[in-house]
Amino acid sequence: MPDNLEREILKQITRRTFFKQVGYGMGGLALSSMLLESGLGARFQAQKRTDPLAPKPPHFRPKAKNIIYLFMAGAPSQLDMFDPKPMLVKYDRQECPAELLKGERFAFIKGTPKLLGSPFKFEQVGKAGHWVSELLPHFKEIADDVAVIHSLSTTQFNHAPAQLFMNTGFQIPGRPSMGSWLSYGLGSENKDLPGFVVLISGDSNPDGGKSCWSSGFLPTTYQGVEFRSQGDPVLFVSNPDGVPREIRRDTLDALHDLNDMELHNTLDPEVETRIAQYELSYRMQSSVPELMDISKESAATHDMYGTEPGKKSFANNCLLARRLVERGVRFVQLYHRGWDTHGADQASDIKHGLVKRCEETDKAAAALIKDLKQRGLLDETIVVWGGEFGRTPMNEGRGGSPFPGRDHHPHAFTMWAAGGGIKPGISFGETDELGYTVAKDAMDVHDLHATMLHLMGLDHLRLTYAFQGRNYRLTDVYGNVVPQLMS
Amino acid sequence: MFVPTAIAQRIGPIVLCSIGIAGFASTLSTPAPAKPDFEHDVLPIFKAHCLPCHSTIQKQGGLTLDSGSAILSGRSVTVGKSAESLLMDRILGRRNLPRMPMGFAPLSDKDTQTVRNWIDSGCLLSSGKRAHWAYAKPIRPPLPALENAAWVRNPIDAFVLAKQRVQHLTPSPEADRTTLLRRVTLDLTGLPPTLQELDAFLADRSPNAFDKVVDRLLASPHFGERMALPWLDAARYADSNGFQQDGDTYQYVWRDWVIRALNDNMPFDRFTVEQLAGDLLPGANKATPEGRDKLIATAFVRNNMLNGEGGAIPEEQRNVALFDRVDTCSTTWLGLTMACARCHDHKYDPLTQRDYYSMLAFFNNVPESGVPSDTFGSYYIAQPWIYAGNKVAMAKLWSLEAQSAVAKEAAKADEASTATQDARAEWESDLVASPAKQKDVPGEILALIRIQSSKRTQDGRSKLAAYFLDHGLSGEPKAKRDRWRGLERELADLKTSLPKVMVMSDRQPRKTFVYSRGNYESHLAQVSPETPASLPHMPSRLPKNRLGLAEWIISPENPLTARVQVNRYWQQFFGRGLVKTPENFGVQSEPPVNQPLLDWLAVEFRESGWNVKRLVRLIVTSATYRQSSRVTRQLWTRDPENRFLARGPRFRLPAMLIRDEALAASGLINLKMGGRPVYPYQPKGIWDGLNITDERDFSYPESKGPDLYRRSIYTFWRRTVAPGDMFDAASRQVCTVRQSQTSTPLHALTTLNDVTWVEAGRALADHAIRESRPTPSARLSDAFRRVCSRFPSTSEQRVLERSLDRSFAAFRADPKAANEFLHQGQSPPDSHINPVEEAAYANVCLAILNLDEALTKE
Repeated sequence: MPDNLEREILKQITRRTFFKQVGYGMGGLALSSMLLESGLGARFQAQKRTDPLAPKPPHFRPKAKNIIYLFMAGAPSQLDMFDPKPMLVKYDRQECPAELLKGERFAFIKGTPKLLGSPFKFEQVGKAGHWVSELLPHFKEIADDVAVIHSLSTTQFNHAPAQLFMNTGFQIPGRPSMGSWLSYGLGSENKDLPGFVVLISGDSNPDGGKSCWSSGFLPTTYQGVEFRSQGDPVLFVSNPDGVPREIRRDTLDALHDLNDMELHNTLDPEVETRIAQYELSYRMQSSVPELMDISKESAATHDMYGTEPGKKSFANNCLLARRLVERGVRFVQLYHRGWDTHGADQASDIKHGLVKRCEETDKAAAALIKDLKQRGLLDETIVVWGGEFGRTPMNEGRGGSPFPGRDHHPHAFTMWAAGGGIKPGISFGETDELGYTVAKDAMDVHDLHATMLHLMGLDHLRLTYAFQGRNYRLTDVYGNVVPQLMS
Repeated sequence: MFVPTAIAQRIGPIVLCSIGIAGFASTLSTPAPAKPDFEHDVLPIFKAHCLPCHSTIQKQGGLTLDSGSAILSGRSVTVGKSAESLLMDRILGRRNLPRMPMGFAPLSDKDTQTVRNWIDSGCLLSSGKRAHWAYAKPIRPPLPALENAAWVRNPIDAFVLAKQRVQHLTPSPEADRTTLLRRVTLDLTGLPPTLQELDAFLADRSPNAFDKVVDRLLASPHFGERMALPWLDAARYADSNGFQQDGDTYQYVWRDWVIRALNDNMPFDRFTVEQLAGDLLPGANKATPEGRDKLIATAFVRNNMLNGEGGAIPEEQRNVALFDRVDTCSTTWLGLTMACARCHDHKYDPLTQRDYYSMLAFFNNVPESGVPSDTFGSYYIAQPWIYAGNKVAMAKLWSLEAQSAVAKEAAKADEASTATQDARAEWESDLVASPAKQKDVPGEILALIRIQSSKRTQDGRSKLAAYFLDHGLSGEPKAKRDRWRGLERELADLKTSLPKVMVMSDRQPRKTFVYSRGNYESHLAQVSPETPASLPHMPSRLPKNRLGLAEWIISPENPLTARVQVNRYWQQFFGRGLVKTPENFGVQSEPPVNQPLLDWLAVEFRESGWNVKRLVRLIVTSATYRQSSRVTRQLWTRDPENRFLARGPRFRLPAMLIRDEALAASGLINLKMGGRPVYPYQPKGIWDGLNITDERDFSYPESKGPDLYRRSIYTFWRRTVAPGDMFDAASRQVCTVRQSQTSTPLHALTTLNDVTWVEAGRALADHAIRESRPTPSARLSDAFRRVCSRFPSTSEQRVLERSLDRSFAAFRADPKAANEFLHQGQSPPDSHINPVEEAAYANVCLAILNLDEALTKE
């Protein structure tokens, strides 16, 4: 018995050390008793899980449980989709006012560029009267659910650093991404799936690479796990040929028993982690294929999303995202690449490349919102749509290219969000008449992060992790919650 | 800082007090110093918030905040009266003045208080506080005087024990011999001990049995392979360039140099100088093996990523590589995070932007464009590079070049002779006269011949001459020419097949400037090669080039190099360094847990002539290293991270070694050393995502036969997609000196389902069945021991046999499944063993390879 006793104590200590690392300590205990009175804590009390992804109490009552982040890698053109500028149309192909260019550095534009009016027709949709261009015919179906933010800005104007900034709050690889912070702060409700899943469509991986969903200095338990659309959805998730599930179960039973003996022998709590790790791997083997199989979805659903089972597409990933949050996965991030419409050639100009990207994503994104809503999931799921920066009001004309295109623009761009406590059907922030700078209600990337964490029940100032002698936050030393965006 | 007021406003008092106790205790527990001085307390704050606009370089508003005396000579501060100081008005935004720094987060409460205290307490400039420990040269500390110290085997133990006694801890007993042998064999060679090695050690009862084992392992050629792994991570070594094109490289030639150097116990100072500046050493040349090795060593510096994609601007890319070289050099040798100083003076450490670019100047004279310059099939490499084949191939290269030169001279001499001229005229007239001979001659040549020779163009004349030499010669001249051309072809084929390693050269001197905010197009002051000003100066006898830099790094005056190295060795054996942050010894690092030990090791290492094997021997023969890793309640409560080393190290092996262990225990392993990287099993579709353009084919050329079973260090490392089974590995994109250690279900899926482990399980079963007594218990025990080095206990044996019975039953019911399970991987199952039996054992062996104990260094 002393061994058992010792092990119990070890378990306690492990948990305590863990909570200490998490930064709750006594504060956490005090908080959870407060939450318990309000009835919210009961859920956490009932959970007996001790793994690192076990659900943890939020800082305060959350509005949302999950996030689906539709990351439009490459940066979509807000000026051709959501932020119409009649002035640009009026002064189309005329030289850009010099005061805008003073001290500016562009990624590719050389010399004095010319303004570029959008060639697309805009209309106002929904009760809020969101402006939207003809490129997004399905957007009107969700307009009343969506808050459109016109006043975002970032500090980075190249893809990889800007994508890292948007995901981790810092432009150099090495910081934890938002999904990792959330998994770390809240755990995940589903113990058979990772808490943070990444799905990729488009022509290749995002420029920021795997660092975009890295856990940085947080334990890698919290990193995003890529679900692939070909081969094993998760690497090595299938048993070897000739090993049916029963045999594998037997093997894992043996491993469990042997590792348990090892635990008694060494008393190292790491062995307990190992046992949990192998059990979770077994559960993932059935939960992942079941999750990825969209063939049993109804014809109506496939119609709505434009999905085809087995295809690698943004639409399929949107449907998978819904299936993931249904199963309690905390943070689902979709990457769709190819929005980098410089106009260096026809494939990357706004009349072809941009049109194609919109066709690939508009219907499915709208379907996702509608589907979540009809299943009662939209209230607890935030859906965010956006890229890493915006595009210039000027034509780029790289090397004298005749194809209309826009360079990278960090000073003002549009994103939208819906569900999970986001105020529906509002328009927030304005840009100047050329769309060059933010004119009203400026909001930066840290503000966006602070607001999303807030909706998830986390105070961005208190979600910290001590590393290299200081407490780090997703919002670094910045960030303000934007109350106007919340219902 | 940002916390107290903001939270108080937001959440109210109740929650604040609970947070005050826990979450931000560390923030609140260090109040602003009461008597701050400028140099240590105030300047770092100004560096972080103010100097971008208010420094001697940029004096916005006429304000300079980078020196205390400049501030005191200005009007911004009223000494002793913060309430009347303009500086405080601006920091606080008082008197309706805009709050500084404008547009950025205001100073934290603590920083504000520090500045306020500084003014109120009289603007002390420097209090002569001791410099940060890491910037003072280590001095060998005396051994601690200890009573009852029978446990102590060598000085390491004395320092460890002294520290433990302060903590009221006592050492753990020595690990049992089997555990110890497995631990030290894994640590020094990365392989588990063989059964023969185990038996020999267990049979050797002499008092120095363990020392003999250590000697044997230090002499093993696999020592170099094991010790190279962390060095390759630091050197960001990979087999391709990274980025979109991700062309292959031949840098494996350098990887082999490292393994050789480590096996030869090259002193660390020479190891340093050759890699940073071998090209500048006497005797460096392309022609001799010794001279070539000095050049090959410098590939360390050239292991940077290379971006040759369409939009890449060469000069920008060249500067990215230069930044990478400075960062790699400072992290690897100095344990400093210099990268901060690329854009601004370092916020905490005494490193200025000028220091950064003065370091960069050492690397700025390479005749390179910044993008790959030469393409050989899938290889994309950049000048300067050298041919670097083995001795035979290189001898052949020089000999062929010499022979070809001689043969060319002979052939050319003949060409110019009158005999050849005559033959040429005869050939022309023959050809004109005889239609039969015209049959195989190209029309263009026939047309030229018909033109009168004086009317032929220059171009026509040379075409005709060339055609004649290739087709019209006969006899002696033809033989000479054929010989020359043959040699040329042979030479070209040889050159194509030879590896071409990118190396250093200083043949293109450039001016170096400080870049404003790291922008290479925005030049500030010009700088010359120089080491950071706050560290000991480069002695004047040293040349101001990379060779001088390398000599400075290993000079006894350098406070960092030896400490940084011994700390990394310590980390390799104990899981954590004495300084927890091997990448950062700066002001922000945690002080060493045992500084006397760190300093003693550093001085010992340097004074031993930088003898690496000697240092390693010292560590692994210490009583500290030999302790059992069993945790007790007391130990876990007192020291969960084992910082005070009152127990032995116990942690999961790096993924590369987990794979090597499976291959070695199963007998599949191919211990061939060096050479081109290999392509072991990889799931389909991993590289395919790289096909962004049609520029090249990224299909995975999976190896065949023995190459599948080479050690993991030889696996092809593609920078954009690291091998799928090397979880937790460094990215090999930038310098990394600390590996992460995590456990996720994805790792378990890898070692349970990847064909590498499935095949190893079967091969392990085959050995156990063939080579032990034909009883299930003997066979299982044999397999278990090949992996874990010990015999299973009775209860473990029971579990293994139960699992075997169940597998047996399942495969007996489904022999087809057994067959499928056995036919994985390229090695065939053993045809002498019944497939059902083999599959059952293979399945249990796969479990053994997945035991926590198998994955762990105990």
